[in-house]
Amino acid sequence: MKNQIALAQTPNLSLKNPRAKKITFSKLVPYLFIAPHLILFIIFFAIPAITGIYISFTKWNLYSAPEWVGLKNYFEILVNQDSTFYHQLHNGLLNTIKYTCFSVPFFIAIPLLLAVALNTKTYGSKVFQSIFYMPTLLSISSVILTWIFMFHRNLGSINNILGINVNWFGQQPFTWIAIVIISLWWGIGGNMVIYLAALNGIDKALYESADIDGASAIHKFFHVTIPGIKHQLLYTLVLTTVAQFNIYGQPLMFSKGAPGESTRVLMMYIRELAFGSGESIAGLASAMAVILGLCIMAVSAIQFRLMRNKD
Amino acid sequence: MYKKLQKAVAFMCILALMFSAAACSAKPTDQSASGTGSTAEAKPAKEIEFWTVFTGPDGENMVKMIDAYNQTNPKIKVKHVPIQADELYQKVPTAVKSGENVPDLSIVHVERIKGFVANDLLQPLDDYTSQNGKINADGYVKAAWEKGEIDGKRYSVPLDVHSFVTYYNKDLLQKYGPAVLDDGAITFDEVKQVGEAAKKDKVISMGITWMRVKFLSWYEQLGGVLSEDGINPSFANDKAETVLNTVKALHDNGFTNVDGEDPVQMFRAGSVVFLPEGIWMKNSFEEINTLNFGMTHMITFDPAKKANWTSSHQMVMFKNADMTPERAAAVMDFVAWIGENSLEWAKAGQVPASLKIMENDEFKNMKQSFLLNEPDSLKIFDYEYFGYAVEALDKIVWEVPFGRMETKEALTKAQKEVQDRIANK
Repeated sequence: MKNQIALAQTPNLSLKNPRAKKITFSKLVPYLFIAPHLILFIIFFAIPAITGIYISFTKWNLYSAPEWVGLKNYFEILVNQDSTFYHQLHNGLLNTIKYTCFSVPFFIAIPLLLAVALNTKTYGSKVFQSIFYMPTLLSISSVILTWIFMFHRNLGSINNILGINVNWFGQQPFTWIAIVIISLWWGIGGNMVIYLAALNGIDKALYESADIDGASAIHKFFHVTIPGIKHQLLYTLVLTTVAQFNIYGQPLMFSKGAPGESTRVLMMYIRELAFGSGESIAGLASAMAVILGLCIMAVSAIQFRLMRNKD
Repeated sequence: MYKKLQKAVAFMCILALMFSAAACSAKPTDQSASGTGSTAEAKPAKEIEFWTVFTGPDGENMVKMIDAYNQTNPKIKVKHVPIQADELYQKVPTAVKSGENVPDLSIVHVERIKGFVANDLLQPLDDYTSQNGKINADGYVKAAWEKGEIDGKRYSVPLDVHSFVTYYNKDLLQKYGPAVLDDGAITFDEVKQVGEAAKKDKVISMGITWMRVKFLSWYEQLGGVLSEDGINPSFANDKAETVLNTVKALHDNGFTNVDGEDPVQMFRAGSVVFLPEGIWMKNSFEEINTLNFGMTHMITFDPAKKANWTSSHQMVMFKNADMTPERAAAVMDFVAWIGENSLEWAKAGQVPASLKIMENDEFKNMKQSFLLNEPDSLKIFDYEYFGYAVEALDKIVWEVPFGRMETKEALTKAQKEVQDRIANK
């Protein structure tokens, strides 16, 4: 930038057409700054997304060239009530939404409570902060394998400590409860770190004046803390909802969709259709994925709208 | 706030570094286990790349075999590339299409061959095998060899057959049903009798394990077929209902484990008499000194009709423009050598498909060798839409015995799913 300014101020030293150069260069600079993200965005998001949408209008088995079939795949999953895939989409989507509804409130509330507790800077709070964050770094496979041992019907510590004989892998509502517990343990760290940072940003004077006014701890939490981190709360709400919509690994590895197909989520149907052990039906799978994407976009749009209105 | 944030970020970075460092340090050991000798690394272009799905303990046996082969000073040495099966099946079409990084030789499951041939991905091997001279029908288990031939062309050479069989606890069987194995078969009636006798001691007669393959074995025993015409599924019938209802009745009478219990663990602990499981579990059971077990055919409806669900690892060559006759001949040398030296593979718990192994005394003493004595009991499924069928069955065969789905309704649903997938493929 410095060079550029210097060039502009001393036109005699610049090239033949300094103006043109200045315009192109200054126009280019912002793109250079966002280039790293832009390139990654294009390669890992834009191209796959557009390809995916295109594939959803075709019949494709991954081997031969995709064959254009128009809206047939969408008709099959959205209109044709006689089709297996109509029921798979509905069941998968319903289970995905159920899981999102079960888990998101806890994904917001528990990390928030933990963050508030850690923010009191009690003895050892840093250690606890690391401990709570640690599971986030583990892979889903190791998380599920660990918890499968814990929830084991005969040998698991959970049934033995509680003195119960519950089949966590194939009996509702226990399977959902187990999946939500596992997901929470795995994922609370991310939101907690955001809330911790946000809590540090609240003006201490607000708490002091609340103290002077004789506010209780609960009053302070609802009238100072919550409004103070409102933006972060809404931000995490949107991100968490989107993330939970993409649930896949937990039910796949933990319950394998059982009991019945009550924990079989949409991603499991999508994967089976596209990359199952039979010939791929990637077009239909992509159409399902597009519907899932649209649902996520709709939910995010509503949440963002709510966010804006509150401002 | 910034300082806190900085601290948090720094902490995360350190943790991330620690984990990535751990991951990196783990890599070299993986590679050393993949059978690449130092001489092999010096001339990477010349090696035969052999992709396999043996990422588990059996991978170590495969490495031993490849190392032994490389020590025979072959024209071209072999390099083992183990890849998870799902990943291999996703990578292969891309590799073949682009013509880059196509493996010289690859292991695939037998059920996949029809699909690969239909999509023109496999290289017919007839010329290569006839040139080699050592690879022919007489040398291999019939059931496994047959499936490698489609429309008169040979596309694969079998490495092994692996079946779902019955493990039985010898001590418990002596106690609760000493006469059961007199005729060399375990029938469902005998499972019930043993169950009645063992109930008081809280020992269960049969473990309910991977239902998909058990269903297929039993359905085959009753003469059922997945598809009458080879295309449309037709398994929603009385025979399939009989299979599922039989298992359900055993469960309802308390002769099996309940859902959520781990029958394999219970067998290890000595509280299960009969455990249908894959032959690949043998080594893990042998590690338990206190467990006195035997292996025999799948439990049957009729002792005269034995059928054990079987799959097979097959060696194939994918289409590859860079393949030269000399190189292909070297690949075939390796394939033939494996057939002649497959004891190591039997040690992994498998049954080698090469009949040469029958001459080996060490193999004859292995528990799984009974399968080769009765090769007609090996049932390999090659329905064109086998993949669709098993995924549809997986959704119901576990639910019916535990009373979560009605038998007829469940089978109709599964059959409909297969039909719909065929219609939309």
